Amino acid sequence: MMRKISLTLSAACLTIICFPQDNSGEIHGDFDLNMQSYQEDKLIGAEPADEIILNNAYLNINYTKGDFSAGLRYESYLNALLDFDDEYKGNGIMFRYATYTIDGLEVTAGNYYEQIGSGLIFRSYENKGLGQDNAMDGVRLKYLPLKGVYLKGFIGKSRTYFTYSDGIIRGADAEINVNEALNLESKTRIIVGQGFVSRFQPDINPKFKLPQNVAAYSSRLNIINGGWNYSGEYAIKLNDPIGSLTAEGNNYANGNALMSSLTYSQRGFGIVAEMHRVDHMEFRSERAQEKQYIINYIPTLTKQHTYTLLALYPCATQPEGEFGTQVDVFYKIKKGSLLGGKYGTKISFNFSRINALNGGNSFLNDNSEHTPMFISIKGEELYFRDLNLEIYKKINKKIKATGILAKQSYNKDVLEGKTTYGTVESTIAIADISYKIKKGHTIRIELQELLADGGDGSWSMGLVEYTVSPHWFFAVQDMYNWGNHDLEKQLHYVNIDCGFLSGSNRFAIGYGKKRAGIFCVGGVCKEVPSSNGFSLTISSSF
Amino acid sequence: MKKLFLTVTAIAIFSTLSIAQSRTLPSVDVKTLNGGTINITTLENDGNPIVISFWATWCKPCKKELNNIAELYEDWQDETGVKLVAISIDDTRSMVRVAPYINASDWDYEVYLDPNGDLKRAMGVSTVPHTFLLNSKKEIVWQHKGYIDGDEDELYEQIEKIAK
Amino acid sequence: MKNIITLFSFILIITSCDVVEGPYEIDTGDVTPTDTNTYVKKILIEDFTGHTCSNCPTAARELEAIHDLYGDQIIGMALHVSSFAAPHTGSGKFEYDFRTQWGNSWSNFFGISALPSGMVNRIGYPNEHKLGKDEWLAAAITELEKEIDFGISIISDVNGDNGTITINTELLNDVNGDYKLVVCLTESNIINWQKDGTEDVENYEHNHALRTVLIDESLSTTTSYTLGDEIETPITFNLITLEQANIDYSTSQGGAGNAGGWDASNMSVIAYIYDNTTKEIVQVEEADLNN
Repeated sequence: MMRKISLTLSAACLTIICFPQDNSGEIHGDFDLNMQSYQEDKLIGAEPADEIILNNAYLNINYTKGDFSAGLRYESYLNALLDFDDEYKGNGIMFRYATYTIDGLEVTAGNYYEQIGSGLIFRSYENKGLGQDNAMDGVRLKYLPLKGVYLKGFIGKSRTYFTYSDGIIRGADAEINVNEALNLESKTRIIVGQGFVSRFQPDINPKFKLPQNVAAYSSRLNIINGGWNYSGEYAIKLNDPIGSLTAEGNNYANGNALMSSLTYSQRGFGIVAEMHRVDHMEFRSERAQEKQYIINYIPTLTKQHTYTLLALYPCATQPEGEFGTQVDVFYKIKKGSLLGGKYGTKISFNFSRINALNGGNSFLNDNSEHTPMFISIKGEELYFRDLNLEIYKKINKKIKATGILAKQSYNKDVLEGKTTYGTVESTIAIADISYKIKKGHTIRIELQELLADGGDGSWSMGLVEYTVSPHWFFAVQDMYNWGNHDLEKQLHYVNIDCGFLSGSNRFAIGYGKKRAGIFCVGGVCKEVPSSNGFSLTISSSF
Repeated sequence: MKKLFLTVTAIAIFSTLSIAQSRTLPSVDVKTLNGGTINITTLENDGNPIVISFWATWCKPCKKELNNIAELYEDWQDETGVKLVAISIDDTRSMVRVAPYINASDWDYEVYLDPNGDLKRAMGVSTVPHTFLLNSKKEIVWQHKGYIDGDEDELYEQIEKIAK
Repeated sequence: MKNIITLFSFILIITSCDVVEGPYEIDTGDVTPTDTNTYVKKILIEDFTGHTCSNCPTAARELEAIHDLYGDQIIGMALHVSSFAAPHTGSGKFEYDFRTQWGNSWSNFFGISALPSGMVNRIGYPNEHKLGKDEWLAAAITELEKEIDFGISIISDVNGDNGTITINTELLNDVNGDYKLVVCLTESNIINWQKDGTEDVENYEHNHALRTVLIDESLSTTTSYTLGDEIETPITFNLITLEQANIDYSTSQGGAGNAGGWDASNMSVIAYIYDNTTKEIVQVEEADLNN
């Protein structure tokens, strides 16, 4: 495998040498390597890895010439990091494609990623940090028959680890930008879209009648007028039983999901109001209910937090059923005003609340039928609630500060599929101050505090980061679980990180203890086990 | 040992490659804040430099970079005619917050959305922030991963070098 | 023209959907294959589970349903592993310790992390052996169609706390390979706590829980077998000693040693032969502990 890679790279170099000044063909790519060592640490429950070090690496190469492009990705898991599913094992070229465009028609053969609307019925995407990759392997067409009309069609199988799904996925999408299509010069812009996806899998179940072609439809509307923007999408999924041999295992009910958001923004001010209702809407490339088959995306209706303690208890969308609302307000207090100070002050406010559907999700089989009420908030089980306020102020030329106050409720039983934990109520306070020592040298201090009774109790976190532009960064952090009810678990998780950046290369090494936790992006979460050891990250683009 | 060899070879070759060839924008569609779709190759700035910066509403260093540049942007534009195009890789979860966030932050950049990461992948971006500098022929002449307070000075040096 | 063709192909795609009407359950009749041979292909479905794993009872019910459909050809084994099987000592619920050292080592070897998870004859090792409960039926249907090279019969006798088992393996074909024989004891009808969905069920019936592994060794000293060969493997054991081993294991894992109280009348012997190169189980047999 290594020889193959060296040969590919040499071939790439030769091509460059042969066409040095000629702009007709280009080769570009990027490389990522993530290596970690795992030592045993009984205190934090960190398991050692038999291999001692684990490594994930990726190399992407793309070749473009005029309207043609082709490329591949080589992935190496020798073996995969512990927070990745261990089905990622070995090496392989797991992504290869060729695309060409001619007369408004774009054809792709091989692997591709695609999204229909907001992804409610179909989203094929990748997020290496999460170990998420459900690339499609097949054929995709994109066509612009008229100005403002965008058509897409595709067929293929979706990726599951090192192989592809059993089910065959077909999809099509039409989006019409009404103003462009009808050549309207109006202040109001309207975009409509309609998408369709279906999955074929043969029915081998001797006991139940199963549909072999399961379809999902979605319609979307986007209206924009000046500072106002409304966006809505409604999706339905027709009978999608999992193919169980037990009656209560097979749910023939149609699933549905509704996403709706209204935003208004003007200079210095913005407000967002969103809601979503999800009912039995997980769509997979196979009937079996396993996460590697999921091919749609229902985004979590909560703020994506970046500070550690705010993201300690992250919410994850329950695709079987939930109702949620979220409000965001962004405001900049003007420069020069009393509260604004010399540079202005930025305020961000966010509130989100997710609860269960009335009586659970839609259900239909020979013995029972249930359709939950459309809107039901009072009296339903609370899954998650987050109320937070962030204030950012540049105090003077040298000091910038951010302060955050938050209150969260996290239903650990439902969101983690566990028992006996109940809901964790936490109050969080964060201060993030950066001080410019001199040109290019900055020191940043973060202090975080989480007060809670449930879960593993209260936490404190401190971080000091020293950066030297343009190349170096150095950081030390400590997370201390001083409030854990189990005295033996009141531990310090200390971490040291440093790195070097230059142009398109980045090198970082770290050492320390990591707490077991859940790392979520969008609606996809992965469990990260606790670990103790070194880490090395190298990433580069060319 | 094999891994080390692979890494070192890879980096050596990449560095060579970055010098050896010119690089144009890939032909990929992005969405505008008005719901429209445009191809990134249609970006224009009358032959002046263009900075393309990939960011996301959940990326702290990205917001820091764009906020720090925002304070200097008017001066940069006066002196070099540079245009900064900010490509947000926010997906459906946070895409709706992009316009309000930008307005409330008082940014004057041209902003586009890349919700499924098509442009990000085509340009070889793996983590954000990732910033590119394009010359008058819209060729990528410089790029930088990550952001550290003060990096905007290095970016400006590069812009001045290619400004006409 | 090109426009119309392209548009038409998009529209074609949209017509691919099915809607089925109730009643959804069909009368299967008797699906159990009627095989008059002494030995038939039997498969082992290993169900990794835990008493605080709320989604696990649905997997156990799926296993039961597959067994109802195909009868004795489906042999189940429940392995209680991970933090979901840890006893909640002193809480009044979930205090029993179902864990065993073999359940733990197999779960580590096969990389079982999320529950419920299972294996059907351990096919697909090393990358595709972990199957979700919805994938067991398809795997079972494929496995049941395979030819068998081995036939196993079990004679088991218990007197008080002492027992003897004789495993007779008969070769049905000429075979070459490195095969290993594993003999386990499982117990059914254990009434104890189990989290089922959102409920904590006090009197849940735990079936085919792995109690102990008596032997895990090479089937014979040779790797070349001829049609008609017969291999006899005798085993003797003492139930009290085995029970104590589990109690000791429980305390070593931070439990309270609440792993005893075995009922020999509810126990079975499961013997299986697997290919040590592919880890695939090629034949399995089950019999009551006292038969």
